[in-house]
Amino acid sequence: MNDQPYIVEMEHITKTFPGVKALDDVQFRLKAGQVMALLGENGAGKSTLVKILSGVYTRNSGTMRLFGNTIEGDLTPKQAQELGISIIHQELNMCSHLTVCQNIFLGHEQTTGRLLDNKSMRSRAKEVLQSLDIDLDPDMLVGDLAVSKQQMVEIAKALQSNAKVLIMDEPTSALTSVEINQLFRLIKGLKEKGVGIIYISHRLEELQHIIDTVTIMRDGRFILEKPFPDLTMNQIIAHMVGREIKEKFPRIPAHQGKKLFSVQNLCAGPLVREINFDVYEGEILGFAGLMGAGRTEMTRAIFGVDPKDQGLITVNGTEVTINCPEDAIRHGLVLAPEDRKKDGICVKLSVRENIALPNLDLLCSKAGVVNRKKEAEMVNKAIKDLKIKLANAEVDASSLSGGNQQKVVVGKWLARNSKVVIFDEPTRGIDVAAKVEIYQLMNQLKESGIAVMFISSEMPEILGFSDRILVMCDGRITGELTRENATQEKILALATQFENKFENQVG
Amino acid sequence: MVTYIEKPFKRLMGIRGIGQVLTVTAGLVVLSVIFGIMNPIFFSSRNVANLLRQIAPILLIGIGQSYVLITGNIDLSIGSVVGMSTMISATLMTKGVNPWLAVLLTIVACLGVGLSNGLLVSFAKLPPFIATLGTMTIARGIAQIANNNYNTDSIGEAAQGLRDFFYYGKTFGLYNTIWIALVLWIIFNFILTRTKTGRHIYAIGSNAEAARLSGVNLVSTTTKAYLVSAFVSCVVGLITTATSGMGTMDAGNTYELYAVAASVIGGVSTLGGQGMLFGTVIGASIWGVLQNGLQFAGAPVAIRNIVIGIIVVISVLLDVIVRSGKSSRKKRTEASV
Repeated sequence: MNDQPYIVEMEHITKTFPGVKALDDVQFRLKAGQVMALLGENGAGKSTLVKILSGVYTRNSGTMRLFGNTIEGDLTPKQAQELGISIIHQELNMCSHLTVCQNIFLGHEQTTGRLLDNKSMRSRAKEVLQSLDIDLDPDMLVGDLAVSKQQMVEIAKALQSNAKVLIMDEPTSALTSVEINQLFRLIKGLKEKGVGIIYISHRLEELQHIIDTVTIMRDGRFILEKPFPDLTMNQIIAHMVGREIKEKFPRIPAHQGKKLFSVQNLCAGPLVREINFDVYEGEILGFAGLMGAGRTEMTRAIFGVDPKDQGLITVNGTEVTINCPEDAIRHGLVLAPEDRKKDGICVKLSVRENIALPNLDLLCSKAGVVNRKKEAEMVNKAIKDLKIKLANAEVDASSLSGGNQQKVVVGKWLARNSKVVIFDEPTRGIDVAAKVEIYQLMNQLKESGIAVMFISSEMPEILGFSDRILVMCDGRITGELTRENATQEKILALATQFENKFENQVG
Repeated sequence: MVTYIEKPFKRLMGIRGIGQVLTVTAGLVVLSVIFGIMNPIFFSSRNVANLLRQIAPILLIGIGQSYVLITGNIDLSIGSVVGMSTMISATLMTKGVNPWLAVLLTIVACLGVGLSNGLLVSFAKLPPFIATLGTMTIARGIAQIANNNYNTDSIGEAAQGLRDFFYYGKTFGLYNTIWIALVLWIIFNFILTRTKTGRHIYAIGSNAEAARLSGVNLVSTTTKAYLVSAFVSCVVGLITTATSGMGTMDAGNTYELYAVAASVIGGVSTLGGQGMLFGTVIGASIWGVLQNGLQFAGAPVAIRNIVIGIIVVISVLLDVIVRSGKSSRKKRTEASV
């Protein structure tokens, strides 16, 4: 391993964005056949660094040597690809109107003469997909695929170009465990072929299966590079945050009050079937389950985003009708949705506008004019309370890191006097320290007597933080566990309680 | 395990917007039959030939607008480029320049507008609406200044060959105008569906960032789409010159919107990434059939405008309804897998 040559050497890399120094004198090295974890909090500069390596951004200063050759000047995405550097971006970047095959070959289409050679591209796409054990028709439209499948297409796209350096930015956040296993097998195969892999992830538990070496960054600076076996998880976390996180799940005792919110017999399509549950004042109710168990669909139905087939919703003892999100908000419900970029924030609007958006009724005079002063107070309070890291409130919400975007999504609701707050995967793709801040936020809500519904696919989080856990499978609630008797095994058993379809057909 | 059998029909049905294309094709047939029953002259060979010749210029500018719309942009300068093309070509010919040289110079001038559009939008990153609004006004100004703010005189005897080539002549029994539209349609449809450039045009309309990160050159691809648009507009301008035998300064006025209508009726999405030139043929034909048929039925221009406006809205509305039904179904089946 150690005798392999360095294929990436970056030194003294500096990159500034307007108002922010994203990278400050950073170094990074990668050998052929090495799997390198690039770790750091959100906003530590990991994504910026790999974007410079893949030509998406240009560096302000510093030297870059790829495969032993010094790169003078700027690198374009195309040049980087030609050199053999492929990147799988954190946010899915696919053309939804094009087919799987067309996306895989986008930018390096095969041609005969001037004509697209669809036939050979299709057969090559099949080869790549089959070698990855991906069960997909190359002629499917990418827009029609589930997110996890799109992610696999993205991986196939990176691989078909015979990458020598493969960068994966949070590749597993949208994958199921089966697909993660596939991916790891794949990574091992690539490693044997001498491909250097840069692996960015916040899921530290995953790393042990595949990682050789770790590079840690913090606040745009290089902290250390060490072989993975020489570090403990706690050391890694400590280096990432620059301080020890004493309590991973800062739970506070619940003061369960009266029944605040209840759902009876809710049905909405095949993934929300006969849902019944109650949430009490001042408790955090966790929803566990596998991906596709219908938890997100349930929240969408409750919140009035998707139509309900039937069901009774009661807030504070009174039955309410929720046909659209506006109704839900009026009755004191709040939803922080799963897909931040799509449903959570308006990417072209500033942080200020995003926070003010759902609260305009509170901020406007009767004539509908926004009270600037009130708005500024609300926005400043939200930014301060949530410790959102930004240059000022006028920056685009999309320019923030994932964790800070999540805080904006949450923050915009806190100015209201809500009764029930639904968090759908609030910690997905954000780092440890930001997670703790989100937990603390949920604690604050809990203390102030709000009923919190907390959906998460991360077992430790659900176990560590919920007061009560409901497990869903295939659109049904398959069980309820109290905080004391919940274990990973029990949750998993309930989460895989699929209906026996064969039996159903007979009966 | 999916068996990878290639099913051309399935692939065809998988194209986004195919539903709308098929619906409006059916609509076109129904409209034609109705007009045919109302007035048998509608299907006379003479009227059909005239009808096709009316459709040809709309189809041509529709091709251009479709190219630009599929990239996710819009070209508002089409009508003015038509006017500019007419005025420059006619002025040159009245000044005694050889007609074919005049055509060449006109094409160069119009491509200049297309190039500016492309660079303003993709390189300078101006919003396409604003950039082409500017070039629309400029191009109209050039049309006016070409002959010192007057329409031109007759382009004269010397240009008879040109007039036959673009409008009056027939080849194999069909008017040349129709042939021109047909040949250009085949060429541009080929480029859009079978070449790398075509693929990239769809890709940047679907997700420009993904395309850029995949190594697609946004500047050159976008510019090519605008060049196509300028080129077909130029050809329509030349057809206009040939038709009237002179240059009029307000020729092509509001054609850019006709082009949007033809594209959109034919299933091209104004949001980019979606559309096919076959749909544009149908869109342009519906346009022509309505104009022609309503004229036969004795409807005044005002009524024709209202009807066409309604058709534009309905055809897109249909697609929206069909798609929202489809997507909610899709979400449910997908999730249940």
